[in-house]
Amino acid sequence: MLDFLFYFLAALTLGSAFMVVASRNAVNAAMFLIVTVAGVAGLFVLLGAYFLAVLQILVYAGAVVVLFLFVIMLLDDGGEAKVKPTAVSIGASLAAFMLLLLGVLSFLGGPELVDTGAAQATETPIGANLQEYGRQLFSVYLLPVQVAGFLLLIAMIGVILISKRHQEEALEE
Amino acid sequence: MDDLQYFKDAAASNEWSLIWPEISVGLLALSLLVVEMLVPKMKNRLVPMIAMIGLSVITVTLVLSWVGMGVSYGESFAGLLFQSGFGESMRLFFLLGGLFICFLGYVTLQGRAIPRVEFFHIVLVVTAALMLLAQSNHFVMIFITLETVTIGFYILVSYFRNQPISLEAGLKYLILGGLSTGLLLFGIALLYGAAGNPQLAGATAEGLNLQALRAFLLNHGDHTLAVAGMLLVLFGIAFKVAVFPFQIWVPDVYQGAPTAVTAFLGVCSKAAGFALMIILVTRTFNVETMTSITVPLLSLMAIFSLLYGNLTALTQQNTKRLMGLSGISHAGFLLAGVVAAVHVDWAVWAVVFYLFSYMFSSFAVFGVMAFVEGKNPGEGEELIDYTGLYQRSPFLGTVLGIGLGSLAGIPPLVGFIGKALVFIALFQAGLYVLLLVGALSVAISIFYYFGWMRTAFFGDGPDTEKDYPAIEVPLPKRVPLAIIAGITVFLGFIQVPLAAVLGL
Repeated sequence: MLDFLFYFLAALTLGSAFMVVASRNAVNAAMFLIVTVAGVAGLFVLLGAYFLAVLQILVYAGAVVVLFLFVIMLLDDGGEAKVKPTAVSIGASLAAFMLLLLGVLSFLGGPELVDTGAAQATETPIGANLQEYGRQLFSVYLLPVQVAGFLLLIAMIGVILISKRHQEEALEE
Repeated sequence: MDDLQYFKDAAASNEWSLIWPEISVGLLALSLLVVEMLVPKMKNRLVPMIAMIGLSVITVTLVLSWVGMGVSYGESFAGLLFQSGFGESMRLFFLLGGLFICFLGYVTLQGRAIPRVEFFHIVLVVTAALMLLAQSNHFVMIFITLETVTIGFYILVSYFRNQPISLEAGLKYLILGGLSTGLLLFGIALLYGAAGNPQLAGATAEGLNLQALRAFLLNHGDHTLAVAGMLLVLFGIAFKVAVFPFQIWVPDVYQGAPTAVTAFLGVCSKAAGFALMIILVTRTFNVETMTSITVPLLSLMAIFSLLYGNLTALTQQNTKRLMGLSGISHAGFLLAGVVAAVHVDWAVWAVVFYLFSYMFSSFAVFGVMAFVEGKNPGEGEELIDYTGLYQRSPFLGTVLGIGLGSLAGIPPLVGFIGKALVFIALFQAGLYVLLLVGALSVAISIFYYFGWMRTAFFGDGPDTEKDYPAIEVPLPKRVPLAIIAGITVFLGFIQVPLAAVLGL
């Protein structure tokens, strides 16, 4: 059952990811992106990382892709644009695919991937459950959280700075 | 476990007092916003003053604390940070850098209808993040501080939002910065994944901690995933320091950014990348199975950066692009120093010394550029605008001459000592090809640096007086430039103070 679920979700994720690239309509592509994100969230659930799965849905499917949709609909580029693949883009895709293939091949038959069932991490990884996650966030990782606070502050200030049409500042020297 | 006890233990490992300089810089940044709210009329004069005075006080206190209490060593924050002499010297580096950028920003923003306070706020936050970055010992810390720096730079590069060229530069930096962050993150994930594989002997759940990662790599340094992760992490950083072949964004972004930001990007952002390179290449990936990959690869990148940067700078007419392209060759020198540091321990200090010498000399040049440039986009940025600069303003001409001479590596100036140290390190490490290419590129760089100097001192134009008016620099603004130029000359003769700071 678990195996079937994994293959189903993996196929769903990959298929919809392909459709994101292949579909000619930007709105459709964004919709497929939501399916991709949901598929990845499902894979997280299978791995026991429930919190990550919830975050994946909330942040990516809920906020980021919706933002994409807003932008696409506001811009309204008028119909389907036909972009022909150039020699460079074909070459780059092929190179990326070969690299991916190389990566997959190099692990097939490797000693560490033979027996997947027996592998059990002894320590609970961060993000496995919400309580442990919060505990770590506000004790061990308190410093990065503080830095992230500053990061968000300057990001916010930057957005206001760049988007706001400011009045001519009075020049006093 | 008892919750209270758990948090007590965690709190005990968070030694906040060790990072008081970063906390002070952060608080200083916040206080600028408060000042803007409380005294909106005075803010344009007050805020730069508060920022500069605050940073000076923190810098002096930091140096005094070394004299008084010595430098602390070891892990803190449960392994998130690692205090060392290297981290302390980079702290000083970024404090001085931030201080001078505040001055440059004050000069660049003056007389422009553009918000001021935010500039100083972001520069201070980025400075604090840079200081933490140099002491990081954990990928979470590295990533979050690096992102704070990068996001700060996205904003700063496009700071002149009413100029299309600045916005274009910001967009280019955003896209390529995003790409490099992606590479870095992917590499970190691969390393973490490899280190956490329970099927491998010595697997660790703490794969993000650099020491734990190194302990794992000692046994599995040739593991495919680990090697791929290591390469991706290095490539991600190579984008930040702009070494070949990841230098593609440099000329456009350097040209479009406000001059103060160009200086910040060229000096502090580059130094941050090299601090990371040193932490990773010489402390984490320095296991035999990995150095057999990193040393040839990074050597090759250094050779190409040296040649590419110098050859493209030869024909460059725009001064900002010229500084950017010649910066690529300086990055090549620094990378060569990092490669040497894999085998020769003291080469780390050669890199740090080179960073300091590069900071003082480039700040002298950027400082002059901030005074020569005009208020309109692209005005006063070409080499031809420097015609007869020495006649128009003897002070600026002298500072420019000192800065360029030091960048070129002319003997009595500090740039020469920096280059000499890297060469000695390369010789001791047995990297003769790098040594040869380095010497060759110094010869090439003299050509374009002296071309700039010739324009500034002897001026080719027929009616110099008519076309290029004299530039008046008020006395208070001369002081920082004079100090920078003075340090550049002084350290060329006597290296004891800096060497004492660095522990050479």
